[in-house]
Amino acid sequence: MRVLKLWRLYAWMDLTWILQDPITAVTYFISDLFVNLTLVVGALLLAERFDGIGSWSRDQVVFMLGYAILVRGIVDGIFGFNIAFISRRIGRGQLDHVLIQPQSFWLALLVDGFTPFSGLTATLPGLVLMVLAGQRLSIEVSPGWLGLFGANVLGSLGVILAFSFLWGSLAFWSPRGAEEISSSAMRMIDQLKPFPLDGVAPLLLGGLLTVVPAGFVAWYPVRALLGIAAPLPTGLVTPAAALGFLALTILVYRKGMRHYGYTGSQRYHSMGHRR
Amino acid sequence: MATPARSATIPWDTAVELSGVWKVFSRVQRAERPSELLRSLVRPRVQEIHALRGIDLRVQKGEIVAYAGPNGAGKSTTVKLLAGLLTPDRGTVRALGMDPVHERRRYVGRIGVVFGQRTELWWDHPVWASFEWKRVVWDVPVERYDRMLDFARSVLGLEEFFNAPARELSLGQKMRAELGLALLHEPEILFLDEPTLGLDVLAKRNVLTFIKDLNREHQVTVMVTSHDMSDLEQLAGRIVMIHQGQIAFDGDFDRLRRGVADRRRLSIETETAGPAPDLPGASLVESSGARHEYVFDATRVKLTTLLEAAASQVNVRDVETHRAPIDDVIADIYEEWTRSGNSQRPSAATQ
Repeated sequence: MRVLKLWRLYAWMDLTWILQDPITAVTYFISDLFVNLTLVVGALLLAERFDGIGSWSRDQVVFMLGYAILVRGIVDGIFGFNIAFISRRIGRGQLDHVLIQPQSFWLALLVDGFTPFSGLTATLPGLVLMVLAGQRLSIEVSPGWLGLFGANVLGSLGVILAFSFLWGSLAFWSPRGAEEISSSAMRMIDQLKPFPLDGVAPLLLGGLLTVVPAGFVAWYPVRALLGIAAPLPTGLVTPAAALGFLALTILVYRKGMRHYGYTGSQRYHSMGHRR
Repeated sequence: MATPARSATIPWDTAVELSGVWKVFSRVQRAERPSELLRSLVRPRVQEIHALRGIDLRVQKGEIVAYAGPNGAGKSTTVKLLAGLLTPDRGTVRALGMDPVHERRRYVGRIGVVFGQRTELWWDHPVWASFEWKRVVWDVPVERYDRMLDFARSVLGLEEFFNAPARELSLGQKMRAELGLALLHEPEILFLDEPTLGLDVLAKRNVLTFIKDLNREHQVTVMVTSHDMSDLEQLAGRIVMIHQGQIAFDGDFDRLRRGVADRRRLSIETETAGPAPDLPGASLVESSGARHEYVFDATRVKLTTLLEAAASQVNVRDVETHRAPIDDVIADIYEEWTRSGNSQRPSAATQ
């Protein structure tokens, strides 16, 4: 399958980059690890200090933070080179590089940023936190649970990407003004994702599940995975939401692409689409 | 200008055909006065920029065509249209019998594009890794890959930096690597946008030789833009000049020179140092000691007349004459375009 063939190529390039310049790679790993841990350390300290947050125990919070870091790690590992921060590529006129490749545009977006080894900086710590907390919580890992876990991880991934691409599409119409809008959108999600949202006022909660869907990045899926809410149908809400967000995003993005076809980009900056 | 006739079907030997292509961009004008700021928020002033105004152009397979024009003339817009990166507002763009936008995937597999200011190389990887990347993404058959790589290595001398990271290459090496990369899939058309930008003399010569070899040995159609007219003259048999979105000249370089004026330089060295002789019909450009340099239009003044005039005034020791560099000719054309206003095409350059 072509996706696997291309993933293998990009994975190999990622690995050779790490091996040929280990000092740079180690520096990159350490700094990235700190960035990812910093994103959740506030919630971690709160959970430690108060032995949990709200109705969530400390271990449940740690599991949720592990899940959040894991999902972010997968985003970084599959959608590197500013694919996740798509407004940068659009705003900097770098989509042209994708358009001169003889393959589907969507396939290019799926493979062009595949950096599984660099992405390990967040994936591994996330997994470790989840396993440690999961042991303390005595989670029964059954095939059904694993299926639910996989579907929710994919769902959370879809929600994050959809949100970034939805806002990032603005760069089609305002390349300079919206160049950094995807990173702002991601930052907003990163800041809101580590907190359990139980007890939040319904209106605000609605906003956190639609306007800024940070609730789907960790809180909602983990409720189902930890049995805080009934695994079904709660566990299906995040994947379903992801499909909805992605459909809307594809609609807006395609509109943006059509606009790009007529206006092109009057700017060009080489930074960011190749390491 | 000889306007190519439009046709419903493209002859088999046509590589590129643009018919009545218009491209208009909108640019929001900034408010000049503070009082206009609020109004411009509600109703921004939009300026329409006509990048291309009804371009008709046909390029035959195997041709090398130089595409020239002053800054903002519409060169890059044309290349982007032909690369499938832009959609025309009006008119049709066909290349290799395909619509570059609607048949993008199939089309870009058969063309190569090099933008002088952009790079397809992987910055932190050795050059060979970018070549391997291209092979997989473009799905180039191994036999073709090996053959084209051998050709690129031998003609472009990639060997000396094939294992070096792209970020460590000099500008000339980078361009050689870009060109090698662009032809790995054996494209039928190569679009080169400013491929000699910033290169030193040697690197430039290597690149130009390579493009000529590629055209001769692989019959690749080449469309090249550059600000360096002497590069273009060395490379292409045909030059298409674009001005304010319209084709102002389409022909060979000799015709271009004749269309403006057959500018020549005349150097006269006299036996003794002294004032420069007065040559009617020629303008004195420089005079130093016994050496005097003039420019004249060979279509208006005969060289023999000038020499007779000089011989009647001074003792001539040596004479040298040569054509004005193509850059001077083009500069004259651009100057005339500027003088003749925005809406008119220059009569001298229009054939």
